[in-house]
Amino acid sequence: MSHEYMWEPGLFPFEPNHPNPDQDPNKPPEDPERTEKPNDPNRQRVSGKSKATMESVKEFGANNVPEVRSNIHCLSIVGQIEGHLVLPPQNKTTKYEHLIPQLVALEQAREVEGVVVILNTVGGDVEAGLAIAEMLSSMSKHTVSVVLGGGHSIGVPIATATNVSLIAPTASMTIHPIRLNGLVIGVPQTYEYLDKMQDRVVRFVTQHSKITEDKFRELMFRTGELARDIGTVLIGQEAVDTGLIDGVGGLSQAVNIIKGRIESHQSGGGQVQ
Amino acid sequence: MILYTPMQLELVLEGIEDMKHPVVREVELNGIPAVVEDKGFGQGKLVKLLSTDPNDYMDPNMIPGVSVNFLGTTK
Repeated sequence: MSHEYMWEPGLFPFEPNHPNPDQDPNKPPEDPERTEKPNDPNRQRVSGKSKATMESVKEFGANNVPEVRSNIHCLSIVGQIEGHLVLPPQNKTTKYEHLIPQLVALEQAREVEGVVVILNTVGGDVEAGLAIAEMLSSMSKHTVSVVLGGGHSIGVPIATATNVSLIAPTASMTIHPIRLNGLVIGVPQTYEYLDKMQDRVVRFVTQHSKITEDKFRELMFRTGELARDIGTVLIGQEAVDTGLIDGVGGLSQAVNIIKGRIESHQSGGGQVQ
Repeated sequence: MILYTPMQLELVLEGIEDMKHPVVREVELNGIPAVVEDKGFGQGKLVKLLSTDPNDYMDPNMIPGVSVNFLGTTK
């Protein structure tokens, strides 16, 4: 069956009663997007979308995430960790007073089995950072941290606080001494105080990672690496080599580690009972 | 207060002297006690939640910094 069409401008080339001349009129038209077979037993009916979803699609071009509850939750810690002082608005901050109740909610939620902590932080308040780190380390859920971009200064104890810590190959971690800000009185007590504050960070990191205290202090006070400060920048594999981080990896490794831990926990629990 | 960051403190703390102390109000948003920064006409910015229910903190509409309408909810 051959057709010749008159392709005149402004003229629709098909008759409205027989729109596609190549289509057999006895066969139903095929939908190119429809890939599954009509009698496929695995075929599922897609439920209709809610009005709010349709509105968000129409107004913002954004599609709502379907209502599938994941058993792995993701917590991102980005920018400065804001603690006792509200930072000026040019800073992108993570507010620890909002994060800590979220950790409590994750800890007590029965359907949550694992938490992935995404870190891209330039550090921040020592006490807020240590608070988050202590909360993470005392969680009973399976936790994995992924350092993406940077996990500097107080981001280091947070990265090591989880069960398993990962670092992206290009991510960096700066290890440097703590400094005091504001009015500093030049007396021996100031140094003692600073040393005590630093010991909190060093103790936490050495207790929660494979790095030794001597090695961590050596990295902290190394000269000649940073232009404006003393200390070290560790990138990807270097952080793993020092024992600070458990492995180089990204998202799939993090999720696989959690899944593996959940499975081994379930099978281990079965043996006990 | 110790800031432990490799960023230059001049950058981090720039403008801290000019920061105004915001007018805050204690309100209840959808039954959740919260502190909001009053911007007038019942509009405000959420500063923090005061709830003790940890699940309230998982609500994406209740993140610090979101704009809220608290007209008639002031305690």
